[in-house]
Parts: sequence; C-alpha cells; structure tokens
Amino acid sequence: MSGEPARPTDADMLARFQNSKKRPPCSDTLGMRLVAVDQSAQTVRMEFDVSPSFANPTGAVQGGFISAMLDEAMSTCVIIASNVTMTAPTLEMKTTFIARLMPGKASVDARIVKLGKSAAFMEADCFDGEGKLVARASATAIPMPFKRL
Amino acid sequence: MFDARAHWSGILNDPARRPPATAFVNFECLGFDPEAGWCEAAFLLPPEAANPAGDAQGGFVTVILDEVMSIAGSIVQGGPAMSPTLQMTTSFLRPVPVGVRLIGRGEVLRRGRSAIFTQGVLRREDGTLLAQATASCLPRAMDGSPKR
Repeated sequence: MSGEPARPTDADMLARFQNSKKRPPCSDTLGMRLVAVDQSAQTVRMEFDVSPSFANPTGAVQGGFISAMLDEAMSTCVIIASNVTMTAPTLEMKTTFIARLMPGKASVDARIVKLGKSAAFMEADCFDGEGKLVARASATAIPMPFKRL
Repeated sequence: MFDARAHWSGILNDPARRPPATAFVNFECLGFDPEAGWCEAAFLLPPEAANPAGDAQGGFVTVILDEVMSIAGSIVQGGPAMSPTLQMTTSFLRPVPVGVRLIGRGEVLRRGRSAIFTQGVLRREDGTLLAQATASCLPRAMDGSPKR
C-alpha cells in the first residue's frame, strides 16, 4: 500500500511503545508493560503488576480486571499490526475463566486472527506468574483511522 | 431458617464489607431480590479506567457487569454462596464514560443444579443502554464446595 508509512523493526516498534509519554490511564492502572512485538506473526506480549485492589471477596482477581488486561493486549495488537494507522474499539468480547489469578505478576499473549478493512478479530491468553493459563479471550472490533493526539 | 434478605442486605449495603474490586467501581446497592435473582446498583468508574479516547476501557466495563451478575448468581442460591464465572460475553454498545453515575443490573436467567446463567445490562441514568453481557457461573458454597 502506497499510503502506509514504512514499517519499523520489531525492536523499534517495541521501543516506541515503551517510551511513549501518552500512556492512557487504564494502562498505568493495570501495571501494564509491553515486552514483545512480532509484526510478521501479528502478536504482542504484555506483563502486568496486578494490584490487590482488584480482588474479589475470595482474594482472587475479579474477572473483569482479567478481561481488562486481555482487552489491553488485543487492542494494542491491532494498533501495532496496522503499523499504528488504525485503532479498533471493541464491539464484543468473550472471556473464558480457566483458573484463579491472584494479585501479583501476570502476562498476556495476544494475536490477530484477521485484520480486515471492516472488522478485526483477535484472541488472547492470560497467564499467572508461574506461566499457568488462567483465562482466554476472543474479541471483534471495527478498525478506525488512528487519530493522533 | 436462612433469612436471605437480611443476610445479603448486611453485605451489599455495608461499605466496610466491600471487597477491593467492588470498591474500585464505587458500587452502591440500589435493590436486590434473592428469590427472583436480580441486583441493581449504581457505579462510578474512576479516571484510572480511561482509555486513550477518555472513555472507559472495555475491561473495566466488564468489571461492573461481572459485579451485578455475580451478586445475582450468589443471592439466588438460598444461603451464603458465591458464583465464580466460567465464561462471560460482553457487547459494547456505546462508549462508557468515566466519572459519570451509571446503573448496572444483573439477573439470573436460569438457576440449574450445576450451572447458573446470568445476564447484565449497563445504562446511563437516563436509561441509555451502554453495554450488555451474558455469563455462565457455578453455584458454590463460601468454602468453594459445590452447592446444589
């Protein structure tokens, strides 16, 4: 495509996000850190410091916050897969809660299933600090031109 | 004889007994019915939930819906109980604002022996529908054992 800016290397793309001074509040709230980008595979990996303030009555992380981490990774995956030309507000998201997650370390691997012109399909897995799978999500979104803030 | 209304009123209406996740979304119970299995509550998302557009990041919307749906799934069980969520699907119909009073309602669709099905809606105070969800969860006693 003629209009698309040149692709940076994965390392440059990762650095661009890690050094961004315009992090949205939700990313800081979730203790999010982007740790890996693979543009040819259309995947990203994020690590999270999950706050004890997200606990339910049993002390485990309330499911919605797990969905928030999965959503964060899937949304970023679209932005990077589009070479920062598109953002993709989530239309619908399904999360499967496989095991309990306690506050502390967590990570999410997100991937693009298909990034089309009128729809984007994503999936993501959430792991606890020991690398055990605790949740899986799938989502659909509509890609929109990225508005530079 | 278990007095469901008194038991759950003591938990849902006492800010001191609010778990951290419930306090994060500024839960305020508006009403509930243990027999019919529904709960309605007001919420206020903090600015910390905002995405780059300044609206609530979708996951924080699911935090609210998971709250009211889990309460509905818990209070319907006829005793102290919880309802860990197996799967939840959320549709984001409109952007959800932070710092604006919202009304969430969760209700039980079916209380089965081994599974409970719930649904939830999130609206503005003027009734505008913002998000909708369905979920399946497990009937569980407070020690985590199956509750039938």
